[in-house]
Amino acid sequence: MRRTAIDLMGKRNWFFLASAIIIVVGLISLFTKGLVFGIEFQGGTVMTFQAQSGVSAEGIRTSLEKAGVADARNATIQSTQDGTFLVRTTESDPTKASDAFTAVVADLALPAQDITVTTIGPGWGRSVTNSALLALAISILSILAYISVRFEYKMSLIAVLALVHDAIIVLGVYSLFGREVTPNTMAALLTILGYSLYDTIVVFHRIRENSRNLQKQTFMQMANESINQVLMRWVNTSLTSVVPVICLLVFGGETLKDFAFALVVGQLSGAYSSVGIASPIYALWKEREPKFQALKKKYAKETAKAS
Amino acid sequence: MDSKTRNVVALVTIVALVAVSWWLFWPLDEKINQGLDIKGGVQVILTASPIGNTQLTEDSMSRTEAILTERVNGLGVSEASVQRQGNDSLLVQLPGIKNSEDALDALGSTGRLDFVDMRSINTSENLVYGVKLPEGSYDTSGVIVAGSSVKSAGATIDTQSNQPAVSVDFDQEGRDQWGAYTTANVGQYIVILLDNVVQSVAQIREPITDGSTQISGSFSAEEAKRLSAVLQAGALPVDLKPSSTLIVGPTLGGESLRQGLLAGLLGLGLVALFMLVYYRGLGVVSWLSLAVYLSLLFGVVALLSRMGAFALTLPGIAGLVLTVGLAADSSILIFERFKEEVRMGKTYRTAAKSGTRHAIGTSVDADLVTFVSALALFLVAIGPVKGFALMLILGIACDLTVAILFTRTVVVLLAENVIPKAPWLFGLKGGGTDA
Repeated sequence: MRRTAIDLMGKRNWFFLASAIIIVVGLISLFTKGLVFGIEFQGGTVMTFQAQSGVSAEGIRTSLEKAGVADARNATIQSTQDGTFLVRTTESDPTKASDAFTAVVADLALPAQDITVTTIGPGWGRSVTNSALLALAISILSILAYISVRFEYKMSLIAVLALVHDAIIVLGVYSLFGREVTPNTMAALLTILGYSLYDTIVVFHRIRENSRNLQKQTFMQMANESINQVLMRWVNTSLTSVVPVICLLVFGGETLKDFAFALVVGQLSGAYSSVGIASPIYALWKEREPKFQALKKKYAKETAKAS
Repeated sequence: MDSKTRNVVALVTIVALVAVSWWLFWPLDEKINQGLDIKGGVQVILTASPIGNTQLTEDSMSRTEAILTERVNGLGVSEASVQRQGNDSLLVQLPGIKNSEDALDALGSTGRLDFVDMRSINTSENLVYGVKLPEGSYDTSGVIVAGSSVKSAGATIDTQSNQPAVSVDFDQEGRDQWGAYTTANVGQYIVILLDNVVQSVAQIREPITDGSTQISGSFSAEEAKRLSAVLQAGALPVDLKPSSTLIVGPTLGGESLRQGLLAGLLGLGLVALFMLVYYRGLGVVSWLSLAVYLSLLFGVVALLSRMGAFALTLPGIAGLVLTVGLAADSSILIFERFKEEVRMGKTYRTAAKSGTRHAIGTSVDADLVTFVSALALFLVAIGPVKGFALMLILGIACDLTVAILFTRTVVVLLAENVIPKAPWLFGLKGGGTDA
C-alpha cells in the first residue's frame, strides 16, 4: 500500500518563514521599484508589426519623425525574438496616431495587413482598474459567503488570507521582474484568486471529512494526515493546471504571454499556499477551540519532537 | 431510478450532447465567431462623459447605444457591433475595416440634428432620405431649430389621412423659433438633417405656434418609426471620447491565433501524456473526458456564436487553455479518490460508487469558487477581460457536466466490468472484499 506520511504541518514554521521572506522581498520591491504599467494606464499608442528585411529601429524612428510624431525621439522601439517590432509612443489621440502610423507604414513599405495599432486614452487604465477592483471586492465577498455556507467561516477567512498571500506574491514577482502590468494581468490575477483556492478547497474538504469523528489525535495531526491523503491529487492537479499555462507562456504570442505569466506565478503560489499556509493556520486556529484543545493536551506529545 | 438505468441515461445524454455539439461547431472556423483581435479590423472603446450640467443615466447610455448602433450600421460594415461595457463605456467593433479615421469620426461626434430651411441649402444633390451633403452645404443662419430643442418625438397616425406620421414636440425655445418661422413661411420646405445626412423633407402647411408638430406624408409605418427615433435621439445625449482604439491587421491576428492554439495543443498533449503514464487505463478515460469536455465547450461556444453572443478573442484562448487544466483536475480528483478507497480495502464496485460521489462533491466546491470569481469578472469588468471570464464560466459549466455525467459513469462501469479482470491495466493492485 502506497501511502505518504510526511510531517508537513511540523514544518509549518519553515513555510511561514519562506512566505514571509518572499512577501517582504516583494513588498520592498513594490515600494522601491514599483510596478511597470502598460500603456493602458498612461495612454499612448503601440504599433506591432512583423519585421521586414531592411527595417531597423533607427529607420522606424526616422520615419516616426518624418510623420511628425511629437516624441519620436522618446518612442520605445522593441524587437522581439519571434521577429515582431513593438513601437510605443505617448500619442493618445487615435486619429493622430492612426495618421502617423499610416505614414510610417507607407514610408517603410510595410504590408498593411500585418499591423496592429492600439491607442489608449489617458483615462482608460483608471476605468479598467476601478472595474477590476469592484470585481475583486465582489468575488472576495462571494467566496467568503460560499465557503462560510458550505464549510465554515474560519475556513472562508483563511481561504481569503491565502488568496491575499498569493496576490501579494504575484504583484511582488511582477515588480521584481519589471514585467509590464496590463488589464490582462489584472484579469489573470483576479482569476487566480479564484483558481488558487482550488487546491485549498480540496484540502479543506478532506480536513472537514476527517474532523467529523476526530479521536485520539490532535487537530494538527489530523490535518497533516489529511494533507498526506490528498497529497498526490494536490501534486497532480497542480501539474496538469500549470503545464498548459506554461506552454502558453513559452509559445503564445504577446497577448497570451501577458495572461500566462500571471497565471503561472499565481498557480504555483496558490498550490503552495493551500498546503503551506492555509492548512496550518486553519489547524492552529481550530486547536484553540475547547473541544480540540482537550485533544491537544492529551495527544500532542507524540509530535512534540517534530514541531 | 436504479443505478443501471442511471448509468444508461447519463451515457445516452452525454452522447446526445456530444452529437449536438459536433453538429453545432463543425466546421470550427465557420461556426465559431472570431473576435476582432484575431480576424482584423477596428475596435474602439468609447467612454461617455456628461454634457454640461447633465448626468450620465441609464437612459442616456442606452440612447447613446441605440444611436451608435444606427451609425455603425450606416457605415456598411458587416457584423459591426456596439455593446455596453460597465457604466460608462461602449465597445464598438468594426471587423474588416482598415482605416480607423472615418469610422472614428462618424462614431465619436456628438451628432448634429438640424431643421433647415431648404432655400438655404447650397447643393446640387437631390434632397431625399439618406443623401449625405458635403460639409458646409448650409450654415447656422439656415437652421430654424436645432435638434437639441426636440423634447420628444413619436410615430403616430395622421387622423385626417389615416397615414403614418411623426409627431414632434419642442421645448420652449424651439417652440418660439418654430412658431415664428412657420408663421412667416407657410408653403416652404424644411429639411431635417442628421450629421449632414438628409432624414426627411417636409412642407409647412400652416403656422405651428403650440410647439406640437406633425410631419406627415407618404411614410410607411417603418419609416415613421425610424424618423421619430432619429428625432428623439438624433443628437447624442453624452460626450464620447475614444479611450482605447485597436487596429488589427488580419495576418497578425491569425498568427496570434495559430500560436495560441499551438501552445494549447501542446499543453493538452503533455497533460494527456502525463495522465496516461500516471493513471494508465484511467488515463485513457481522462482522454475521453477531455475530448467530451472540449466537444461540449465548442458546442456551447458555437451556439452562442450563432446567437451573436460570442466571439473568440485572444484572452478567450487564454481562458480556454486554463480550463483544459481545470477539466483534467476533475478527472484526477475522481481517480485519486477511487484508488484511495480501493486501497482502503473496498471492492472496486463500492470504491467506484462512493469514491466518485465524494470526488464530485469536492469538484463542485472547487469549481464553484473559481466560477464565482469568473462571474464577478464577467459582470463587472470592462475591456478584453470579458472574453476571458466568459470562457472560464462556460468551461466550468462544461467541466462539471462531464465529471458528473461522463467520467463518473465510465469509472463506475469499468469498476464493475473491466477493472476486476485486469487491475494492473489501471495501476491498481487488486481490491478487497466489501466491507
